[in-house]
Amino acid sequence: METAKETLKIHTPEHVGFRYVLAGLGTRSSAFLLDTIVRGLFILFIFLAVSLLARWLPAFDPTGILAAIPKSWFFALGVLAYGVVDLGYFLIFEALWSGQTPGKRMQNLRVIRVNGQPIGWLESSIRNILRAVDILLGFYPLGLFVMFLSSRSQRIGDYAAGTVVIVERRRNVPMDRTRLRTTSKLNLPELDVHLSTLEPKQYQVIRSFLQRRQVMNRAHRSELARLLARRLMKRWGISPSADISDETFLEEVVGIYERSRRAI
Amino acid sequence: MTQSAVSAEAKRFAISLTGLKPGTVPEDLVVALQSIFPRKTVEQIRGALARLPLLLTRSATEEQAQKVKGFLESKGAILRLVTSTPPATPTPPASTARSPSTAPIAPSRSGVVEAAAVPKRNQPYTGIERRAKPRLHPGISIHPMGIGEILDRSFRLLRQHFFLFFFILLIPQGTFFLFNKGSQIFLGGGVLQDMTAGMGIGLIVSVVLAVLVMMILQFWAQGALIHAVSETYLGHATSLATSYGAMRSRLGRLLGTMFLMGILIVLVPALMGIAMAIVAPMLKAMSLSGGKQIILTMILLLVGAVWFLNLLLNWLLVDKVVVLEGKSWGSALRRSKELMNTRTEQGFWKRPKNKAGLILLLGFLIGVGIHLLFQVPGFLSQMFLPMSLGGVTLTLQQVLNVIANSLATVFTAIAMILFYYDIRLRSEGFDLKAMAEHL
Repeated sequence: METAKETLKIHTPEHVGFRYVLAGLGTRSSAFLLDTIVRGLFILFIFLAVSLLARWLPAFDPTGILAAIPKSWFFALGVLAYGVVDLGYFLIFEALWSGQTPGKRMQNLRVIRVNGQPIGWLESSIRNILRAVDILLGFYPLGLFVMFLSSRSQRIGDYAAGTVVIVERRRNVPMDRTRLRTTSKLNLPELDVHLSTLEPKQYQVIRSFLQRRQVMNRAHRSELARLLARRLMKRWGISPSADISDETFLEEVVGIYERSRRAI
Repeated sequence: MTQSAVSAEAKRFAISLTGLKPGTVPEDLVVALQSIFPRKTVEQIRGALARLPLLLTRSATEEQAQKVKGFLESKGAILRLVTSTPPATPTPPASTARSPSTAPIAPSRSGVVEAAAVPKRNQPYTGIERRAKPRLHPGISIHPMGIGEILDRSFRLLRQHFFLFFFILLIPQGTFFLFNKGSQIFLGGGVLQDMTAGMGIGLIVSVVLAVLVMMILQFWAQGALIHAVSETYLGHATSLATSYGAMRSRLGRLLGTMFLMGILIVLVPALMGIAMAIVAPMLKAMSLSGGKQIILTMILLLVGAVWFLNLLLNWLLVDKVVVLEGKSWGSALRRSKELMNTRTEQGFWKRPKNKAGLILLLGFLIGVGIHLLFQVPGFLSQMFLPMSLGGVTLTLQQVLNVIANSLATVFTAIAMILFYYDIRLRSEGFDLKAMAEHL
């Protein structure tokens, strides 16, 4: 059976526990692809800038010194800049952005130390210099192999620097915080009593349905609404009414529940 | 044989499944029952379980009865064993619909207990096909995922069930490799020079047969992989034999549907070629300049290529639909198209076709990484082993290639199966249905 997400548990000396969701191959590959695009744009910009400099700068130099410099020097400068971007992109971003690069930020990933602390220049340098080993021959063959064997999805650079890549917790915050408005269509004498028996897990299921119903297939949507509404009605000893549809019933229940519990 | 031995031999037992122990996961029992009654589908067993008590057999020997009792009780079933006499009449045909509690059941010739035919339930049509409903293990949590998460989960599934998935695909790949090697050895010994007409025909027939067998094996493995990934993703246990076994009844449908899809895919470029052959003289007649003609042709080709790509993406989920939903032929193609065109999220890159394209691209890149990794030992052996061992190096490279192929294919295949479930999860909300049933 498949287990839950792979997590990293950290216990502080004060016996406070933290749990981080480890990033897998997929999210890391996506982040790397995005970073490759950004790096490509950087490099393109550098080469364009160098080409323009090589072409136009000598015209603005009255002394003629710049005109005397061979054009190949400008391209050497471009190659140097390319090297700096290629090596420094991950190193500098991860050190300055506390373990993130533009790609990682877009994918909600962050590099941290295995003890949960943020990474610094040293860790960033080690893991990114060793990237050259992981990426050997291109496409991360060694990195893939080591990650496959690692319980924390670490590549060689991560092992050497003592780092892991985690998924930021931001994702766990519900996207939709808006509360449902009730229309007072539901007139039940003991609704408050019934709602007090509604468990948070049950509320979450109904809430998820109401959030996701827009993209659901019509037949499945009505079946699920009926299933949820009938379950609640049976539990509360209410008979289905023709005045109120199953979805409206669920909306009302969630709306009143949220209002009474101040739930998100 | 003594009188008592004869009577002991003749003593038969009726086994009834009367209930489930508290905390039993019904799906585990369904899997257990399916291993006893391999001819019954999961849906039939599930349907029978919904109408307990269920008479499993009325003519099991004592040994059989004890075995079945021990096995099913360990899975949470409550059984009742009653002594009975063997049925005088032969087993009725499986197609005969009977109530499971009254149908006589006899051991088959192989000694395996046969279950009574389970009648189909007469349920009103609600627009949802029951057979297509995924059975989710109550202990598992699934939710809609993004591209990265789909690939993460694929990687995790591959790691957790590496040998199962890998060997499922290694069987056809390995067989193909062995066949290839064998034919090289056979034909390399100067057979081709001294070949008679009869031998030539025999060779052609064998090659055609071999290709056919390989094709069947390949699709069988593809189906078995889909079954295995689906089972593990939904939280159920499975094995190599179960996965291949589950595909036996659907192999014909899968082969037929894939064959139909193949024909249609070949037909489209052929139609495009015909269209081009008609359009080209018309362009010439319009007396356009060479540059304009080239641009117009390029535009037409681009339109054709986009249309073709769109067609391929529409049918990307056909194999999953056949294996997991039991559809076939045109209905499978239509269902795949319907799934691929479902608007499940807002945003251009979140459309199923674009998502599928990105998953395939990332899968391809990861596949290249896997291939490169497996090239390293072959490359090193070529560098450091003496030239006389060239054959060994070549074989090593080929073996590693087969392994790399299997691994790269497995990873992308898992990702595509999870992608299929993701679309269904969003449009059908079956995770919510499973949770709602436990409210």
